[in-house]
Amino acid sequence: MNKTIYKLRPSDFWRIGEHESWFADLAAEGLFLRKMGIHFAKFEKGEPKNMRYRIEVSISKKISADQIEMYSETGWAYVTSYGSFHVFSSPAELEAPELHTDPAEQSYTLKELDRKLAFNSGAVIIGMILMIGMLGSIWFLDGTPTLVLVDGIAVQQTILAIFLAYTAYNSLQATLSIRDLRKRLAEGIPIDHHASWKKKHTLHTTVAFVFTVLVGLSAIIPFFQLMKMDTKTLPEKNVDLPIVRLADVENNPDLVRAESAYLDDGVDWGNRYSYDWSPLAPVQYEADETGLVPGKLWDDKSGEYSPGISTQYYQLRIPSMADNLISDLIERYRYEHTQAEYEEKNHPDLDHLVVRVEDSMNEVYASKGNAVMYVRYFVYADVDLVIENVAKKITIIPD
Amino acid sequence: MAYTGGPMTEAMYYVLLALMRPNHGYQLMQAIMEVSNGRVNMGPGTLYGVLSRMEKDGLISLAENDGRRKIYEITVEGEKALRTEYDRLQALIKDSAILDLGDGDE
Repeated sequence: MNKTIYKLRPSDFWRIGEHESWFADLAAEGLFLRKMGIHFAKFEKGEPKNMRYRIEVSISKKISADQIEMYSETGWAYVTSYGSFHVFSSPAELEAPELHTDPAEQSYTLKELDRKLAFNSGAVIIGMILMIGMLGSIWFLDGTPTLVLVDGIAVQQTILAIFLAYTAYNSLQATLSIRDLRKRLAEGIPIDHHASWKKKHTLHTTVAFVFTVLVGLSAIIPFFQLMKMDTKTLPEKNVDLPIVRLADVENNPDLVRAESAYLDDGVDWGNRYSYDWSPLAPVQYEADETGLVPGKLWDDKSGEYSPGISTQYYQLRIPSMADNLISDLIERYRYEHTQAEYEEKNHPDLDHLVVRVEDSMNEVYASKGNAVMYVRYFVYADVDLVIENVAKKITIIPD
Repeated sequence: MAYTGGPMTEAMYYVLLALMRPNHGYQLMQAIMEVSNGRVNMGPGTLYGVLSRMEKDGLISLAENDGRRKIYEITVEGEKALRTEYDRLQALIKDSAILDLGDGDE
């Protein structure tokens, strides 16, 4: 039984001379090329032998039978193809005539590949520009890049964009290299069949590894997020979560839960808490709660008093992002308010505290260590009571 | 690049010359060797490239294709191109007569 061995190719597919000498070096060690994949080449173990390898380029994926026939009559056996590249081999002692005796003529054989690669890289570059434009609008249109990063909504797109940029760079490299090779051939400079492949090896291996990991992650992360994501109806009794409850700030024994305005999948979205995950904020909570005090009216008599409170909580992987996240949260929920309406405050138990107080809608932004909390409330409650609750709840670290 | 009547490459010229007698790939290499008195030893890759290019340009055509072997022959257009090139080379030689007259006084 012949033993099969797989090896990571040492350089990019368009480096013809480097591949030819790599195949020959391995044959001298007893490894004979059988098949070539995108990243790996398959070899069969045998007796070490001096072999010559030549790569022929033709735009069609399949090399024509009469080309194979003509080459075999002169001692060159067809081995395998990868894309437009077709590998032939011949034992050195056979002294088969060189496949190409006229570099200028050989340069013509690269013409169509050159055109195809140029078209491809043009397409990939346009794709990349569109992708970057789209990402840019997600990231920067409303000026909250940290929030976008922490929310994790653009993680996959970002990885995809990096991958696309790499692909664009790669295909541009391929186009330029083949164009350069054509030019040199046209000038009569033949391909160096013994080009050194070792210098590119480490670089190529590293890049291939990094991108395999990145692409793998970009596939896994959305599934992971989906798995972790969950929304439940908020229980009426106290829960051990980093959220501020209506009952905490509204000291009124008559307070009852408001009738649900929106029910979906058995979840009361007016009284819910959601859990979310992202690489940079592995613990995220979002909660909404609405109540009602029967018989009590709003001060302006506009209707029955129905307080509401919402909390957003982020536990960050990188604590130094907390301040930026607070500014981004303010920016995201600022609406028509001016920056002047936000007041920085000091609190012994909080690292950072920003408050905006108005009659109907009040907001508290706070951070402590790696935790960031944003509370928006529509309650007749003293702001200091809300801040105390934030300071107390922000230290609850859920798993 | 389609052939537009300019100077031919050596490979093109010899393939056309050898195809004055219809022939197939491997034997064509021998024929080129013979017709050039052993001076042009054309590799199969170069030959294949020239054949497919000149077939596309209509300078040569398939005389026979028994499935395994393609036998090529020169077309009328190909022969015309070959003769034009021949005349050009003749003129080149004629003009170079100056080299045979010693120091080129004339």
